[in-house]
Amino acid sequence: MKLNRIGIILIACALVAIGLVVSLLVVRQQDSQAAQTRIKGVGLVKSLSSVPLPLLRDSSGANGGVLAALLAYHDNGDFAYATIGDASGRILSEVAGRGSMTPNVPLPASAATGFGERALAAADGAPALREFYGPLADRSTGPLFVRVGFNQPRYALPAQDVSFLALLALAMFLVVPVVYLVIKREMAPLAGLSAQLRTLAAPGKANALDAANNGDVRELIDNMQDYLGQAGKRIAQLEQGALNTTADNRLLQYGSKKLNAALQSLPDGLLMLDPAGDVTFASGKIEPLLGIPMERILGQPLDDWCCDPALRSLIARFSGELRDNGRTHGGAQAFVQAVHFAPLNVEGRQLSASAQPLSGGHGTMSFGTLVVLRDVTREALARQAGNDFVAHVSHELKSPLNVIGMYAEMLADSDDESLRVESLNVIQDEIERMNALVGNLLNVSKLESGSMSPERNRVRLDDLLRDAYDQALTRAEGKGLRMQLDLPRELEAVAIDKDLFRIALNNLLTNAIKYNRPGGSVTLAARNEDNDIVISVRDTGIGIPAADQGRIFDKFYRVSEGDAPIKRGGHGLGLYLAAQIVELHHGRMELDSAPGVGSTFSVHLKIVSAPAGAAVL
Amino acid sequence: MSARHILLVDDEPHVLRVLRLALEREGYVVATASDGNAALACMATQLPDVLISDIQMDGMDGRTLCPLARSTYPEHPFLILVMTSMTALDERAWARALSNTEFLEKPLSPRQLVARLARHFAALSSSPDHLSEPPHAA
Repeated sequence: MKLNRIGIILIACALVAIGLVVSLLVVRQQDSQAAQTRIKGVGLVKSLSSVPLPLLRDSSGANGGVLAALLAYHDNGDFAYATIGDASGRILSEVAGRGSMTPNVPLPASAATGFGERALAAADGAPALREFYGPLADRSTGPLFVRVGFNQPRYALPAQDVSFLALLALAMFLVVPVVYLVIKREMAPLAGLSAQLRTLAAPGKANALDAANNGDVRELIDNMQDYLGQAGKRIAQLEQGALNTTADNRLLQYGSKKLNAALQSLPDGLLMLDPAGDVTFASGKIEPLLGIPMERILGQPLDDWCCDPALRSLIARFSGELRDNGRTHGGAQAFVQAVHFAPLNVEGRQLSASAQPLSGGHGTMSFGTLVVLRDVTREALARQAGNDFVAHVSHELKSPLNVIGMYAEMLADSDDESLRVESLNVIQDEIERMNALVGNLLNVSKLESGSMSPERNRVRLDDLLRDAYDQALTRAEGKGLRMQLDLPRELEAVAIDKDLFRIALNNLLTNAIKYNRPGGSVTLAARNEDNDIVISVRDTGIGIPAADQGRIFDKFYRVSEGDAPIKRGGHGLGLYLAAQIVELHHGRMELDSAPGVGSTFSVHLKIVSAPAGAAVL
Repeated sequence: MSARHILLVDDEPHVLRVLRLALEREGYVVATASDGNAALACMATQLPDVLISDIQMDGMDGRTLCPLARSTYPEHPFLILVMTSMTALDERAWARALSNTEFLEKPLSPRQLVARLARHFAALSSSPDHLSEPPHAA
């Protein structure tokens, strides 16, 4: 607001008011003077007109005539002249004040009939005049007229008016600043409001404009309009922003949910601990991994719920190092600690826990600690299985070696012929056993590494089965077993890898011989059955208890021989290998066994319809 | 001096056969069992002077049998010889905890076993007290 402008306007108004008052006073004074002059002039003319001419123009007396006396009486400034003259303006007698003379102006025609007055404009050097005239009563010398002129008053102020005016002006000059100050005071909030509006309307420009604008109501309104315009724009912007924010929020929520889902579906359990050690986040996997309900974990300090000492000590140690590191290096170093433990609340599980600093912004922000719990039961079991495998294989290899060594010693020490024969037989058996084991181990290794890929050819099974039968026959007869081969006249062709399939068959036949009873029999049979060819190896041996049948094809699984009178010393690979080979041929293996009666292993293979002219090996 | 009794426990019949022949030739009385349960049954009828056991056996294995034999007959601290092929690293720890228990490395030589037993019994008979002598041998 421009208060200065208001001040100037106030001063101007005051000056105008003073001017008006002064001019009114002057006009009034002039009016009253004119009235006085008229009274004086009219009276004078009337009184002079009744005076006889000789008396008027008597110039012989000491005092002169009446005119001269008039002059003496009235020569006080505004009296100009008194004249006796005829109608044409010729002057018979005249008295005039200082510096005045009767203008040579003819009287108007109306002068002959009555009294009148007229204004005479100022001539050169002479002031404007007001003249009163009338016919002289004394007509002794013809019609004569008396004329009395008064000087028109020039502007003049009486002294008492000057002081009044001065007082008035003083009062005005006193009142104007007071009014100005009052207005300024009243306008101050408006000025503040205006500044505020300006700031709101155009933030940043406020200071620049502040100096230039001292504010008035118009500016306030301008600012208000600016502000409203800006505010409208801002509201539109904000509404748009709100829309955008809503969209952004939804996106953010979506992203956050997605991230959370990813965290929750991680196979590992995640725990986030704030620097104070309270759990701020726990993924759903934590609950089953640790066997501790989520509500006991979330938001609680670790010591309240964690009952696994390994995990507690890991986190305690880690937090300690995190603190020390933070102190000494001024920031969390990327270090990870891990520990393996079996959770107390979950049976038979192995967990790996690793703790690492949870930091963001390139390591500048630390959110605490991230603990990752991983179920390593399978790995632990696999490692255990690997160790067991090595132990088992070593044992299986050392056992025949042990026997061979002992018998070799006996062979050297004994003279008994029967013992020497026995020794040689046992040594040969054990070498065969080792050989079979090593062969099977190699095959298993090939099978598991995937390097054993069957080369499937259409094969007539008869020859293969006959070969296997012939090989087994000598061993069976050595144990006093009967061996039978039962083949149909016509056997459909199948697509198999001959060498691999021979291993499977040999393993089945070896088992049938090994786990038979003295005087028992082994039957190798094959038959067409629907779309399958079924090859079966039936023995009349000890059979397999129902409890063991489900696991009989597992690697290294051996049926407990318990208190069986004869120990067969299998190594748990033969059936596993046979089953794997059958599976490689997309066939299936079936077992039908009764303890004490015998077992039948059946291999089902798909018949391959022969393309015309296809070679059959 | 009456014959010393030796109890052989192994699930490998060939091992039992060879060791039995070798020990009987030296004049020991040999009993054999194919697992821990059979061995405990043998001990119930005749306490051995020396128990020679394999570790890995079907049924009750040597790891169970040996401590059980010790705790069942605390007043007869007979020598226990454990035949081991030392495939597992922790196999010796449990045996060390048992008193008067030693290892026999596989492959086992019958000659070495005979010599080991001879040393053992010689030491027993030369020692002033016959604490580890079973009552029937006194």
